[in-house]
Amino acid sequence: MQETDQDQPSIARRALSGGVLLAVGLVMLSIAWSYPVGKLTQMGPGFIPRVVAILICALALAIILIDIRAPSAEREGRMHWRGLIFVSAAVVIFGVLVDVVGLIPSMFLAVAVSMFADDHAKPLTVLIYASLATLGGWLLFLVALELPIPAFWR
Amino acid sequence: MIKKLLMALPLTVALAVPSVAQEGFPDRALRIVHGFGAGGNADTVSRIMAEQMSQGLGEPVVVESRPGAGGTVASGYVTQQDPDGYTMQLMVGGHAVAAALYNELPYDSVGGYTFISTLGQFPFFVAARAGEYESIDAMIDAALANPGSLKIGHSGVGSTQHLTGELLALRTGAEFIHVPYQGGAAASTALMGGEVDIVIDTGTVLTGQAEAGVYDILAATSAERWPDMPDVPTLSETVAPGFDVVSWTAIGMPAGVDDEIAARIRSEVHAALDNPEVRDRIAALGANPGGSTGEELQALIEGQIAVWTDVIETAGIEKR
Amino acid sequence: MIDQFLIGLGVVLQPNILMYAFIGVFIGQLIGVLPGIGAITAISLLLPVTFYLDATTSMIMLAGIYYGSQYGGSIASILLNLPGTPSSVVTCLEGYPLAQNHRAGLALFVAAFSSFVGGMVGVAILVLAAIPMTIIALRFGAPEYAMLVILGLLAASLIGTGSQIRSFAMVVLGIALGLVGADATTGYFRFVAMPELADGISLVSLAMGLFGVSEIIRNASYRSPPGPALSIKMRDVIPTRAEARSLGFPILRGSAIGSFFGALPGTGAAIASFMAYAMERRVSRTPNKFGTGHLPGLAAPESANNAAAQTGFIPTLTLGIPGDAVMALIIGALILNGIIPGPRLMVDQPDLFWGVIASFFVGNIILLMINIPLIRFWVLLLRIPYQKLYPVIIVMICVGVYSHRTSVTDVMLTLAFGVLGYLMKNYRFEPAPVLLGFVLGPLLEDNFRRTMLLYSGDFTIFLTRPISAVLVACSTLLILFAIWSSIAVRRKPDRSPT
Repeated sequence: MQETDQDQPSIARRALSGGVLLAVGLVMLSIAWSYPVGKLTQMGPGFIPRVVAILICALALAIILIDIRAPSAEREGRMHWRGLIFVSAAVVIFGVLVDVVGLIPSMFLAVAVSMFADDHAKPLTVLIYASLATLGGWLLFLVALELPIPAFWR
Repeated sequence: MIKKLLMALPLTVALAVPSVAQEGFPDRALRIVHGFGAGGNADTVSRIMAEQMSQGLGEPVVVESRPGAGGTVASGYVTQQDPDGYTMQLMVGGHAVAAALYNELPYDSVGGYTFISTLGQFPFFVAARAGEYESIDAMIDAALANPGSLKIGHSGVGSTQHLTGELLALRTGAEFIHVPYQGGAAASTALMGGEVDIVIDTGTVLTGQAEAGVYDILAATSAERWPDMPDVPTLSETVAPGFDVVSWTAIGMPAGVDDEIAARIRSEVHAALDNPEVRDRIAALGANPGGSTGEELQALIEGQIAVWTDVIETAGIEKR
Repeated sequence: MIDQFLIGLGVVLQPNILMYAFIGVFIGQLIGVLPGIGAITAISLLLPVTFYLDATTSMIMLAGIYYGSQYGGSIASILLNLPGTPSSVVTCLEGYPLAQNHRAGLALFVAAFSSFVGGMVGVAILVLAAIPMTIIALRFGAPEYAMLVILGLLAASLIGTGSQIRSFAMVVLGIALGLVGADATTGYFRFVAMPELADGISLVSLAMGLFGVSEIIRNASYRSPPGPALSIKMRDVIPTRAEARSLGFPILRGSAIGSFFGALPGTGAAIASFMAYAMERRVSRTPNKFGTGHLPGLAAPESANNAAAQTGFIPTLTLGIPGDAVMALIIGALILNGIIPGPRLMVDQPDLFWGVIASFFVGNIILLMINIPLIRFWVLLLRIPYQKLYPVIIVMICVGVYSHRTSVTDVMLTLAFGVLGYLMKNYRFEPAPVLLGFVLGPLLEDNFRRTMLLYSGDFTIFLTRPISAVLVACSTLLILFAIWSSIAVRRKPDRSPT
């Protein structure tokens, strides 16, 4: 696969994904370092984590090398910031609220907020749609399945 | 709703009509929280009790599973709830073990609770493959003759089963290799496959194999012989005088529940335990059903915490 | 065996019991479609109902929920890249690309049909070979499990469409995620940043995040150009003759692998489907087509997880040993009815034993009959614009994950894995190997350490136990084959390396 007219991503950019993985491996190794390793017959809880962390570091280094040496590697995909932000917000809202105000309000807000990930969303449509979705969710989860989640705050 | 529809189908036996809701407590749904996965014994006992108590209380009782860290996540959660009488916890023997095993718990294992009642107590059994050992004495002799050769499979590090094995080693002077498995069923499989020599677990896990002649039940861990298995000797009367380990299930509430409400719940629990069907179901799970007062439950838990603290220290099990 | 099976069939075909079999598989099917809400949730909710039913009927209904959910699980995987059950993660890999190429109907048909064949093979093994399979399963001790997992990891290191080293790195990352929580051998807390993590990361969170949430993030703001109208004519749903011919062996291989892994306590449907997929990719003449909507890659794991769901009952019925949490729940229902599950079940309760097995046979037929007409409905669902669909999906994921352990932490983790999965894909890392490592890693560590404990650190035990030795030999062959083929590729530069 050949890049046609776009400029090559810089070396730093190409090493990014492997670099992050290397960081993960190193963090893991530093945490696992304090775990007891034990001996072969009575392996401690730290034995396997160390092996795994070292393996991650080694693989990450290999990935960095490959990515740097192969300038024709595909470019990373573009970011979907809008989706990322609003989907995250919806899930966080649900998680924070469900234990506090119950299932119905948190479902409503999660649907409403997540709809703004689509840049065409209009407030009135969102309101109607979120109400309908919440009604459906209530019927499914609380009426039909009787999940043990309170509908509202107690 | 699916549940109600199914209950209305022809094959289901007619249900007792729930009593009409009374004034005052309770005026909304109650819940039984437990700290284990859906499908475990704790979950099943919770559902048996919830089903029966909801009829007595006239309000639904829902079961909430909050598994994590040997049940301590649920205990931490329950003890922080409003002591309004609407939140109950199904507690098991592991509660006392956790109090002894963990360095720091986010709750007070005794002071954090309003204790309601025990539901039942059950012993553990020591089992080996059929024909392997004449008796429990022969097993301990074999272990003493070859220290560190007999392997005991147990259902997880820090489980009551594991600590019972450690206690047996302490009391008899035998040395075992304690091999952890993920749950009693896996340990039982290993016993069948010949990977371990002994398994200590509940009757539910072991009696099926014992009845089929695959296992010999060598001993019970309770002080008295178990009524369902009068031929099985106790450890106490054979190799370890004074040995007494029973596990239990019980109902507790967050500390500070109004006395009247606690009494109401206690009487509902006792009424449920008086129902022969409920007794049968709890007995089927290997327990001897029986209620208690709150004080009796508290004394039981305090006593067990002391025993396990001792075992963990003497056996050198690392605290968490 | 066949005679007893016919007696069992007589039990199931009583109208009352048949009705409960139908109810079970139908509820299972629906539960399977819902992301995060699995058979465990459904069965534990319905457990009180079984207090009022006899043992045979209870078990037939609860078992129906279990294997019915395996059928349902593939539907959301194919339509929305949303694994309804952990075992249908692999179904996403080929099923979702097919749906994106406007062939959702075909994918659903192939999935339903493969599931049916897999289920039936599983039932056949149950009827004909339950006892021999039990004996084999009991010969699997810690060394065998450890070597089996290593073989699996080696065979599967080709999963994913990226380069091999990247996908292997993801397997190891999955193993690392599997380490989080209390160590099974010592109880030591590893990487436990908060108490909720003490029991480890939930597989549901990981699967829903990496697959479901990441896909929503990617597509929420994307408006697809109006594609060709989705065809729901039966003609476009049924595979062509050539396609059908390409599916025979994959389905059989998948069923065989699934039947084997299902019968081993402690493994199960999820591992079986991964293994079947890896196997298919290994033996395929066109491994490059995997990941793009390749039908054999869909059919093999689908038949595997359904075969495993059936043979998973072997240890449950013959030994009274539950292979996983769902089986434990089903055994619980038996115990509550006063029946002690164990080796005597088959002798003491032949009506129950054979009735339940016959109900699997009937249940799979019912499921096929429900599924084929429903394809039309599911495909119609895709006509709803994604913008109207995804907010509902997010909420379903949230509720499903939350209800699983009543845990807010799990909901937040699902989001974290969603973002991770999204970023991974942007940087050419595949999510499927992460899940594989996550599922297999703990099994490997647990059994490897147990082997060392049981046999005092003696490595030769892996070679002196016969089954283990065979597994080691297979792994060695696999490595040699990989080296040989990479040399062969280098000699022929025109063939692109996979």
